[in-house]
Amino acid sequence: MLVGSVLTPPASLFDPSSPHFEIIWELRLPRVINAILVGGSLALSGLLIQNLVKNPLADPYLLGVSGGAATVQLLVIITGLSLAQNTLFLFGFMGSLGATMLLLRLSYQGRIKPEKITLNGVVLAFGFAAIISFVLATASGQQIKSMMFWLMGDMSFAQPNFLMPIIITLCLMLLLKQHRALDLLARGDLFALKSGVNTHRINLMIFIITALLTSMAVAQAGTIGFVGLIIPHLVRMMAGYQHQQLIPMCFLVGACFLLAADTLARTIMSPLQLPVGIFTALIGVPVFLWLNRKV
Amino acid sequence: MLQLTNLTISQGESILFNNLNGEFNKGEFWGIIGQNGVGKSTLLQTIAGINHPLSHGSITVQGTNVNHMASQLRAQTFSYLLQDQEPCLAFSVREAVGMGRYPWQSKKQDDEKITETAMQTCRINHLANKSILKLSGGERRKVEIATCITQQSDFLLLDEPLNHLDLVYRQHILEVFAQISQNHCVMMVCHDIEAVKQHCSHVLMLLANNCYLAGTSATILTQENIGRLFNDHSQHD
Repeated sequence: MLVGSVLTPPASLFDPSSPHFEIIWELRLPRVINAILVGGSLALSGLLIQNLVKNPLADPYLLGVSGGAATVQLLVIITGLSLAQNTLFLFGFMGSLGATMLLLRLSYQGRIKPEKITLNGVVLAFGFAAIISFVLATASGQQIKSMMFWLMGDMSFAQPNFLMPIIITLCLMLLLKQHRALDLLARGDLFALKSGVNTHRINLMIFIITALLTSMAVAQAGTIGFVGLIIPHLVRMMAGYQHQQLIPMCFLVGACFLLAADTLARTIMSPLQLPVGIFTALIGVPVFLWLNRKV
Repeated sequence: MLQLTNLTISQGESILFNNLNGEFNKGEFWGIIGQNGVGKSTLLQTIAGINHPLSHGSITVQGTNVNHMASQLRAQTFSYLLQDQEPCLAFSVREAVGMGRYPWQSKKQDDEKITETAMQTCRINHLANKSILKLSGGERRKVEIATCITQQSDFLLLDEPLNHLDLVYRQHILEVFAQISQNHCVMMVCHDIEAVKQHCSHVLMLLANNCYLAGTSATILTQENIGRLFNDHSQHD
């Protein structure tokens, strides 16, 4: 919290008269909290979605969440409807939930069909990407700059949001209660079904929780790649495969990882603030490749 | 007691079973035999409730329709051994076998004890800490069988349990199934007529054209019936 575009002495943490006091408590604290919540949510969503579609390459954005949010937010920016953060957050959240519902509708035939989610999700993402490209191609220079920042993932818009920690806590509790069912699900839907798991209900639960967490993360911080894809693999290498450990570990590691990446993003070329997405990949890729070599 | 009443199962255009009736009780070891594609697996999966083909008639256990059972109760009643293993993550053998305890929500110590016993019965306790992805095909099969035994259901539905297993182990596991069938009902799909003859008390023989024969091994496994089993191609010709 003490580092950033302006270096603040530790003493100013508790000195209301210091000019840095406000910077730390009003700007940086919310940003740090946000990095923790977003990082944790993304990693957890990644763990869930990989279990749902049984594909190690799946990440939370597979649900079309980021595409939906980005499309709606960009449209709001381009039409000049509003530039206020709160409105953008709301529109982004609505866009991502809308996209997820569309995907759910397409992949639901009496029950969720995980094998359909992968394909439909990828195809939908292409559709959204096309719209985004179209918007960017027709936008003015000033607009592009702010959009690009957002598309690459950025924590600097951080607004304190009291709903997010509550929802995350509820999701964590719900998931931990079902940790054994999630273990069984990881061995295949048929296996889970024959072992007494209500797979229809669990799959729907996973889908909704993932959509909720990712939508909030995207609305808060844009599309931050890599966290949701890599952290679950990283944690499995460290903590094994049982969800009782995986769920809390994923949240913690994801949170720490994004916090570290964001701290680098706002300090390394200070006072210039870089999009955090660059650093999640820059740190994540070598760490992951190194770990994968060892296992 | 498991009761099939006028069970008719159709998949797409073709009718697999037409008015199948049967009664399966505790203390019986059933061998289910029939040609490929006659619907042996579909029958087991329909009973276990993991496959819902278009069907008429009813499947009841002690008078309760299995379609109305909650998932956990169903798994307490039926334990189904999948014909093929699904690809999955690298759980250890002990973790994998322990998953059979899911429907019971019993005490952790009991779960661990039952898991250890099942692993000993299936002779895989030396593999307990190994990842299931590093096992051979036969060892993996043993893990799946142990998982089913850990589940301690009233009915053990085994879909070709002998696949991948070596000759010595086949003999051993068939004896284990026979042992279990003293207090449970075991139903085993199997292509090894000799094994069925030796170990099963009852036989359900599925023939072409929705015909079937059911009864004790001695009455069903006659030369004539076995001849019918392999020469009856009328449906396909």
